[in-house]
Amino acid sequence: MKTTVPIIIAFLSGFVMILAFFVSPESVTFGNFELEPEVLSWVTIVGGFTLLLGVVSIVRVNYNAVKRRNDGWVYKLATLISVFAMAIPAVIPNGLSPLFGTGPGSIYDWLFNYLDAPMMSTMFAMLAFYIASAAFRAFRTRNTEATLLLVTAVLVMLWRIPMGEIMLKSIHESIPGLINTYIMNGANMAVQRGIIIGAALGAAAMSLRIMLGIERTYMGK
Amino acid sequence: MNLWLILAYVLLIAAGIFLLYKAFKSGDRRFIYLAVAFYVIFPVLITLHLPIEISPEVRQLYKAVESLPDSATVLLTFDYYPSTLAETEPMSRGALHHLFRKHCRIVTMTTVPLGGPSIAERVTRNLAEEYGKVYGIDFVNLGYKANYVAVLKGMGSSIETIYPTDNSGTPLSDIPIMKDIKSYSDMDFIYVVSDNGIVDYWMSIVNAQYDIRVGTGVTAVMAPRFYAYLQAGQMTGMLGGMKGAADYEMLVNQPGTATKGMTAQSLVHLFIILSVIAGNVVFIIEKKRKRQGAKV
Repeated sequence: MKTTVPIIIAFLSGFVMILAFFVSPESVTFGNFELEPEVLSWVTIVGGFTLLLGVVSIVRVNYNAVKRRNDGWVYKLATLISVFAMAIPAVIPNGLSPLFGTGPGSIYDWLFNYLDAPMMSTMFAMLAFYIASAAFRAFRTRNTEATLLLVTAVLVMLWRIPMGEIMLKSIHESIPGLINTYIMNGANMAVQRGIIIGAALGAAAMSLRIMLGIERTYMGK
Repeated sequence: MNLWLILAYVLLIAAGIFLLYKAFKSGDRRFIYLAVAFYVIFPVLITLHLPIEISPEVRQLYKAVESLPDSATVLLTFDYYPSTLAETEPMSRGALHHLFRKHCRIVTMTTVPLGGPSIAERVTRNLAEEYGKVYGIDFVNLGYKANYVAVLKGMGSSIETIYPTDNSGTPLSDIPIMKDIKSYSDMDFIYVVSDNGIVDYWMSIVNAQYDIRVGTGVTAVMAPRFYAYLQAGQMTGMLGGMKGAADYEMLVNQPGTATKGMTAQSLVHLFIILSVIAGNVVFIIEKKRKRQGAKV
């Protein structure tokens, strides 16, 4: 029962979406009941519950770690405080006070604009330093492939900046255009297309495995 | 060009070369970090305006928006996290300048829970004020809904089923702009600004299945992936990273943070290239020395 019911639900959900894709959605109706929009509403609602599940999970894991004073429990306490500090004012209706809800001027909005956004941007900005440091150690002319990678990387980096474009054009007017044509729209595009097609085929195969009950890892098995 | 400005930049470049030399000599990578910090901060304080060559894919997106009729309906997405604001927000701002100027009706939404609705609200309302546009009549923010695949697919049948209310909880039936916007078929163009894999779904679900033109603004690391869609004609133009955003700012004649960031990006790229070349020179010399040592 624990296995059969989820497999039946997975099969029916997948089948409805395939059916809706190959036939006109309007034709998959039973009286006033339109199958595709109905299923999509369900999926959105279930998606909302998965967010709630994520919050419950993060609270449970971190609460237990704080309670047992595990290593780094102070950080976990900070996580818990942050979760509640963002969530509680956001879920209270803003009819009670403009400080509640998620609108402009609310506590949530303030925390987001002045704490969350700068912190996330800072983390991302750190990449510039690591990339600069890693580049001169990693890009070595060890063999032909590594040299090709190095030359391509240097050309693309020059092509993507105004100073680089000026430099490339000073060598020959057509170099930026050639990089666009042969590197980005040539070698790069061919490889990316292969990856996209491969990933799509993989996704189709995985979907079939889930629908037919061969793949059961989503049930924790 | 101002002589002092040129002198300041020459000194800055010389300082970077000196720090690179110190990094190689001492093996301390903090000298590299210091040089990068100089190259990022200095151009923000003293901007050097560089000529920007517009990329063909940016021009394609600009032309597509430019060719829309006045009061066309455009869906503009804010599918990005705050971490990439430096690259993506100038794209959204450029798009809004262009669309408001053309008096398009704008529907904004996001598939990103963290920040998406707040960013959309802040950026759109600020620019709407500048152009005298009214919420609910000229633009609307639908906000966030979970499970993006279902959201993208569902909006093809009925937007109201997926978003019964806007971001602030007002029912869509009470919002004038939404009276005749029921699904993708009522839209003229979709402008996706994103920092994640959602772009693939906008192409495979919305463009391919509902036959609506989609233009994108994506981060620099993502851009190479989407040349396949551009070449196939599925994607109508693309802004790639801060350079793409700067190109668009130039086209809409609203130079902003992306244009300003081009000098910093230029200097950091050139410094990285210089580091790579210097690193390889040292590597080759060391290799030669080792060989000679082995022979002796």
